[in-house]
Amino acid sequence: MGALRAQLVCGLALIAALASCTNNPYPPEEQQSRVHYAAFAEAPRTLDPAVAYTTSAHVITANVYDTLLEYHYLKRPYELIPALAEAMPQSRELLDGRMAFRFRLREEILFQHDPCFKANGQADDTRRVTAQDFAFQIARLADPEVNSPVLENFSVITGFRAFTELLGERRKDPEFAALRIDRQYEAAGGVPGVVVLDDREFEIVLDERTPYFIYWFAMPFTTPVPWEAVVYYDGNGGRDRFADHPVGTGPYTLSAYEKQFRYILEKNPLWYGVRHPEWQAPGATFPTEISQEDIDTRRIDPVYAGRALPFVERIEFRRESESIPQFNKLLQGYYDQGGIINESFDAVVQGDRLSPEMAERGITLDRAVEPSVFYIGFNMEDPVLGHDAGERGRKLRQAMSLVINVERYLDVFLNGRGVPAQSPLPPGMFGYDEVYVNPYRQVDVARARALLEEAGYARGIDPQTGAPLRLTFDTGNTSAQSRLRYQFFVSAWRGIGLDVEIAATTYNKFQEKVRSGAYQIFQWGWIGDYPDPENFLFLLTSANARSVNDGPNTANFMDDRYDQLFAEMKNRENDPRRLEIIGEMLALLQEERPWIELFHSEDYVLRHAWLRNAKPMGLSYPVLKYRDIDPQMRADLRAQWNKPVLWPLYALILFAVAAIVPAIRTLYRERQ
Amino acid sequence: MLAYIVRRLAYGVVTVLGVLLLLFVLFFAVADPDDIALKAVGERASPDVYEQWKVNHGYDKPLLMNADHGVLEAGRYTDTLLFEHYRSMLTFDFGRSDADDVPISQRLRDGLVPSLSLTVPLFAIGLFVGVVFALMVAFFRDTYVDRAVLVLCMLAMSVATLIYIIGGQYLVGMVLRWFPISGYDPDLSVTFRFLALPILIGVLAGFGGDVRLYRTVFIEETNRDYVRTARAKGCGDVQVMVRHVLRNALIPILTNVVLAIPFLFTGSLLFESFFGIPGLGAITVEAINGNDFSTLRTMVYIFALLFILGQILTDISYTLADPRVRLH
Repeated sequence: MGALRAQLVCGLALIAALASCTNNPYPPEEQQSRVHYAAFAEAPRTLDPAVAYTTSAHVITANVYDTLLEYHYLKRPYELIPALAEAMPQSRELLDGRMAFRFRLREEILFQHDPCFKANGQADDTRRVTAQDFAFQIARLADPEVNSPVLENFSVITGFRAFTELLGERRKDPEFAALRIDRQYEAAGGVPGVVVLDDREFEIVLDERTPYFIYWFAMPFTTPVPWEAVVYYDGNGGRDRFADHPVGTGPYTLSAYEKQFRYILEKNPLWYGVRHPEWQAPGATFPTEISQEDIDTRRIDPVYAGRALPFVERIEFRRESESIPQFNKLLQGYYDQGGIINESFDAVVQGDRLSPEMAERGITLDRAVEPSVFYIGFNMEDPVLGHDAGERGRKLRQAMSLVINVERYLDVFLNGRGVPAQSPLPPGMFGYDEVYVNPYRQVDVARARALLEEAGYARGIDPQTGAPLRLTFDTGNTSAQSRLRYQFFVSAWRGIGLDVEIAATTYNKFQEKVRSGAYQIFQWGWIGDYPDPENFLFLLTSANARSVNDGPNTANFMDDRYDQLFAEMKNRENDPRRLEIIGEMLALLQEERPWIELFHSEDYVLRHAWLRNAKPMGLSYPVLKYRDIDPQMRADLRAQWNKPVLWPLYALILFAVAAIVPAIRTLYRERQ
Repeated sequence: MLAYIVRRLAYGVVTVLGVLLLLFVLFFAVADPDDIALKAVGERASPDVYEQWKVNHGYDKPLLMNADHGVLEAGRYTDTLLFEHYRSMLTFDFGRSDADDVPISQRLRDGLVPSLSLTVPLFAIGLFVGVVFALMVAFFRDTYVDRAVLVLCMLAMSVATLIYIIGGQYLVGMVLRWFPISGYDPDLSVTFRFLALPILIGVLAGFGGDVRLYRTVFIEETNRDYVRTARAKGCGDVQVMVRHVLRNALIPILTNVVLAIPFLFTGSLLFESFFGIPGLGAITVEAINGNDFSTLRTMVYIFALLFILGQILTDISYTLADPRVRLH
């Protein structure tokens, strides 16, 4: 009887334990906290602000490292506002044609608490940011050992390139190489174009007039970095690497960084916005200029206008390697916002709107066109398709452009998530014309056939061989899904008689092909760094041709007129003349067709009602400080949506008992 | 016995050396070290950075022979990628990740506990459930219970593990809402909440195969003379099954079990990936996706090492389970 009683107690305990089960992945004590939950798929390779160049890294670096300038959270087109800088920089033109930006820092900006400061002789575990910290970071960008991906972009700073070379040379001397990193920069004279005037003021001198360079000061590449952190976090003696241990001045600090599992950002008590809310600094105050559209779509709650930032105490990123569980947890309310998986797209979005089930849950769909362009490129050095083919090649490219139905492509492969592109410039960019229709980006098979005939390829037949003209679509992506996508283009071209073959190789082999110029047609994309047309139109300049300078102009498009227009356009402010030049450049591209512009990608984000002020941004940007959570609403809705269904459990237990009891009785009888 | 163990270990060493050679061919001859370096530093890196990265990661040496050293110098053969590959693997000095420079041994240490916290209970519960059900089915052999369970097993075996995972997450996490769909917490007091679902799904996914295998073994044993003798001596059915049949069926079960034990340390690629468990399986998947050749090489080596170890342990365990088995 004793054993039976023990079994009964165990059974009841099990039922009680199971009855208290929940699918909530977070500790119950966090229910009422202002914690923002988000997911990440893969940890970034580096958080070094001189190197990190991916969206996944910027989610952290943009919020930990403050910048001199940042974008206005709500205004579109994008507008810069001062952040660590006291005001927008004064730009001046020097007598020799060079240009300079002068910045003045806010007073008493402090780095976050970190042991690296005491370890390097500071009295406290923080210190004041000075202009030298900016100079140090720009020197790091030039340092060949840092391997910054923006080395080329910053070469416009006077003496930047020379400093890179000088460092390389000087490091051959072991005595120099043994110096502490900041002392090496100092001994090499620093970057000549970064002139520190005093502790709070410095000037960046550019070799030529480059107004758009100002946008780089809104990116973490130019954040102040303490040399103490770079020296201390060397990955030795159990210390982190600097690439995994950011030390910044931003609104949040990275308090936990477990790459395989989670990372946590916590409010930085030393952030200037927290220490000095009375300053009402633009980068530390919720903007008051709120558009009616933002209010109507419930993206922005106007009660926040003028309030001191940040609102959320902690942001917890949990790793979700697979999209399906992540999406399911979003629906359960365990993530505050997230994307839509392809498998559920039709169930979530019907037409242009959210399904009634989603709307009923108070979920909102935010759509934002990203500053990007995806395109098919022609290698203009190819004898059949490129410059050397002259008028014939131009007409062939035009014909091929006329048969690509991008609306259908978007529907079939991207659930319609994208805006058909008429030119390289995405919406929201200066020079983007909403009503502009590129005549070669409208599907017109009859005209395409006529153009082919004019090019000497009637019905797609190459007169030299008497067979359909054979072309190659080169790619470094061998996945089955990508092949289907390329097949879409190839089928369209086959429709006008061309024989285009997909040559899919490994990424390395493809890169090799590109390096050696052995490719004809390819598909590529570009996501803008900053909202200036220069950042898109430079992709087709001769100076950036892959074959000449190993630049990003993989189409190797080289046109003197285009280059002249670009040179004039890039150095101008956004004035009517600039618009006129851009129009001329786009008209030239329209006829020349080095690219078949496909689409500008569109981000679809689902947002729960308790997440406030989550306006989608196309650019990598420190947005977390603007967001807020209504924890009570979240806790109530989570509880309502996630009540466990226990009857199947009880039924299972009953079934198990019914199955086991006869066995126990038999055993008992046998023992008798 | 000792001589056998020594001999088996010696064979194991030879096999490991062979595995290392195969790994070398796969990772260095097929994947060019220059390509690995290019992927790691990016195309735009300066030649200095590229060369320095190769030096830091040991990819700067020639593959088989170093012509910088004289014919009679040891460095001609030791200052090579092949020698370095053998040295690092045999001394467990795995170096740093190609992807982010983190020491691989640290990554292995970090991933071991999450992997074991999933695989050990999954293995133990799966074994227990499999054996109990197989015993029950063998007990009811040739009845409708036996046939029904067999059909269920066949059905269960026909379903891909991925379907179990996605379906299980949907049913238990979304519809019944008993456990979190995915996630992990290193705090052992709450880890169970996250592991319950993958363990439940893992046990179900392995149920069909295990029960079928063990049932066959048990049925074979129940036809033996000693079972008839036991019954003739008055042993009850349950006693016969548990005390006699189960004990004597241990050898084939052990083969299955001991072979699986080493792999508990390597985690599960699918389960860890779908349930967000930061174990060694997830690290392997990440290494594959991120072109992290050094980590992947290490993981493959460890898999091979554990497999060889599993084989040796299986052979030794035979003698422990059945004294009639003698190893020569």
